[in-house]
Amino acid sequence: MLPVPGAPAVADTEDMDREGAETYLRLLAETVLRGSPAAAAEPGPPGTSRMMVVGHALIAVGALDPDVTEEILADFWLAVSMRQLHGEPGQPVTAAQWLSQGRAAPPRKPRPGAPPTAPPESAPPGADADQERSARFVPVGLTVPFRSGAISGELCLMSFARTGAGARVVAAWGVRSPSLELQSGFQHPGLIPFDEFTVTDDRGARYQLDHTPGSDLEWPNLIGLSPDPPQNIRWLDVAAPYRQAVRVDLRPAGDAAPASVSDTTLSPGEHLLVMLAERLLTWTPGFPRSGRLAGPPAGPWRAMTAGFGDIIAALEAADVLSPLSPVPARLATLCASLDLNGHGIAVPPADDLPEPWLSLLAHYQRRKPDPAQLRDGYAALAASLPELDGIRLTLLGLQHTQGNSALHVLAQGRTPEPRPGPLDIDLSFPLSIWLRDSGGRWHAARQDRCHRAGRESTIRLRLVPPLTRPVDWVEVLAGGRSAEVRATLPLHWRYPS
Amino acid sequence: MTRVPNEPWYTPLPPCETTVPCGQGRHVIRWEAGQLRLASHADPEAELVLAALGGQKARCVEIAEAWGRHVADLTVLTVWPRDPAAGIEVGWDDVDAAGQADQGGWAVPRHGAMRLASPPTAAIAMAAARRRRYQQEAGQASQRRLDMLSLLALGTGFQVRLSGQVAAAYAGRLDEPDEHGRNVRSVLTAALSGRLAPVAERWLGIDPDQVEASLHQEPGWGSVELAGHGQQRRLLVSLPAWWLARVWACGLALTGRHLVVAVEGACWPDARVLALRAPGAEPVSLSAHGSDGPPGSVDTPHWEI
Repeated sequence: MLPVPGAPAVADTEDMDREGAETYLRLLAETVLRGSPAAAAEPGPPGTSRMMVVGHALIAVGALDPDVTEEILADFWLAVSMRQLHGEPGQPVTAAQWLSQGRAAPPRKPRPGAPPTAPPESAPPGADADQERSARFVPVGLTVPFRSGAISGELCLMSFARTGAGARVVAAWGVRSPSLELQSGFQHPGLIPFDEFTVTDDRGARYQLDHTPGSDLEWPNLIGLSPDPPQNIRWLDVAAPYRQAVRVDLRPAGDAAPASVSDTTLSPGEHLLVMLAERLLTWTPGFPRSGRLAGPPAGPWRAMTAGFGDIIAALEAADVLSPLSPVPARLATLCASLDLNGHGIAVPPADDLPEPWLSLLAHYQRRKPDPAQLRDGYAALAASLPELDGIRLTLLGLQHTQGNSALHVLAQGRTPEPRPGPLDIDLSFPLSIWLRDSGGRWHAARQDRCHRAGRESTIRLRLVPPLTRPVDWVEVLAGGRSAEVRATLPLHWRYPS
Repeated sequence: MTRVPNEPWYTPLPPCETTVPCGQGRHVIRWEAGQLRLASHADPEAELVLAALGGQKARCVEIAEAWGRHVADLTVLTVWPRDPAAGIEVGWDDVDAAGQADQGGWAVPRHGAMRLASPPTAAIAMAAARRRRYQQEAGQASQRRLDMLSLLALGTGFQVRLSGQVAAAYAGRLDEPDEHGRNVRSVLTAALSGRLAPVAERWLGIDPDQVEASLHQEPGWGSVELAGHGQQRRLLVSLPAWWLARVWACGLALTGRHLVVAVEGACWPDARVLALRAPGAEPVSLSAHGSDGPPGSVDTPHWEI
């Protein structure tokens, strides 16, 4: 794999002005407490959403400790609630709610030397390298037909992955029953008689298929193998009840995808703004279209957009965003293109949007959707990309089901804990993933499902917009703070009967 | 560093007092020269000992304890009024209601008396520890809320004086975190900004959101400048943290249409102040004379040049 120089986990926090960040949030509280008609019209304590989005942004870039942020918000809420004692009864939203910590004041004792954000899970030196050496990723691309009573279908094995967290197969399936049409992909895994399958390796050892590893019912595309097979098995025979076994060749077909790496050196603030922009781009398809795109009338999405100006000012105060950065102007352009007003971004829009953003905007602004020409199917993948910001990404399959497309990936490495917040971004997967299909169209990959096991996350990324034709190859663009990686992957589609 | 007068910060402040419901009657609580005094309780220490032995604690004593807990609590600056003219109104009924709610609240979910034949001791110990931690945190939060309400119920005069005491407790040690690890400079910068903005609005008619305040940490009183025009107009103010206690909490911030930037010396009801007629001007030394506000007004002094 190609080395990527200087790869921080999420944010390199050494040069930040944390005092500036904390002061900004406290000054914002003063402004909000002085009150404005717009703030007073909000549900909950006035100005709460402004405080929350800025607090979340400063946590996201590592400029503020979540506990400090929680204390500032708790004090803010206390100040608001004391002033509302004899006013209109509000619907107080506790500051702790969005931080999902559930604790308001009193302040905590100091933690000398504590880092501003929760450190990623630690591992002994060399453990990463050991795990990576033992990791094995194999594209499979085999279909195992099955029948059990009135239920029949196909189990589509996309890829095999064995890491320190165990062995599993990424799969899709089609299920037929008297009451169901053919269902591929994400639904009805409970109908598949996994316990009736037999799995045997080249040494005669037998394994069970477990379709809910870690008891994560939200993640049906992973099928675990139990017990964990040894490192050097050559093949597995997978057989449905009363069916001939299908042999899965597990000899590695070459780990690393041919990839090019280029430095990007985004500041933490720019990186966050890019994540927010891509969140906007991938949120949009759910909205009703009215000529040009219309934004949603309310909700956290609106609060986030309305907070862009405050977020940018806070990032500048924390010294994680240069006043000369071109990213805020691009964000302003994006908002204008999506008819989003009231974003508060002070700089004028720019006309140099990244090509993937332009492609997605062009898709949205078409008057007629593309006719779908792609049948339900899947393409096997097992391509590891060079490490990016401390995260090693392996692509494990591409799937198209009922008009939706998904990319399956495994992320290994240092990632911070997930911390839900009003910005609706996933800090535990701080990478930007795009696919360009052989027709030249870009598709954003937005996290849909995630199964975490230690330092690994198996993630299903939903493509926005979905594929509409059987493309021969895709170019994957994975972007982090320090670099971006491009890899072109040929696709061999398979279609369940 | 800014030269700080040797006198205590509160020398320009007169005493103030209020009555609180305590036992069967109403008792006087008085603030004087930086101290809270319980006029109706000759020996509060002895009452505390009796309370510890199971006796009922008098409300006056509870308030004195709460005052003591918060004289160096930066949260006071983030919650308390920014403008004495817009104090936070809390009545003793509010305090009683909150006290009763807290007695009934903070229930920890109970799981009945079901027992396992062979209890998993480690799991039980962990659950008990979690429960204790939750109860402790809930109890602290409850106590804190009651403290705040009780202290606010003392009225605007006490609110402003407590703010002054907290500011004075930290004005000389901006670089150290407080006992909870909070960044003192950050809290005091926001406190200065929040309190200066309404003063500047009355002084110049400027939009409070156009006031940018920072802590002055060099020798001298600081600076006050106007910059920009229209929407971009800004009043840039840099003042030492002591201003919050010595000037703002003493009701001197805007005196005779001057922005007071420092107190050179004071002994109620007289004060010698350094004041600005306009932004960018040189400060002048002025004599100010204080008087109690008109009956019914907030319990802060009124100053005239």
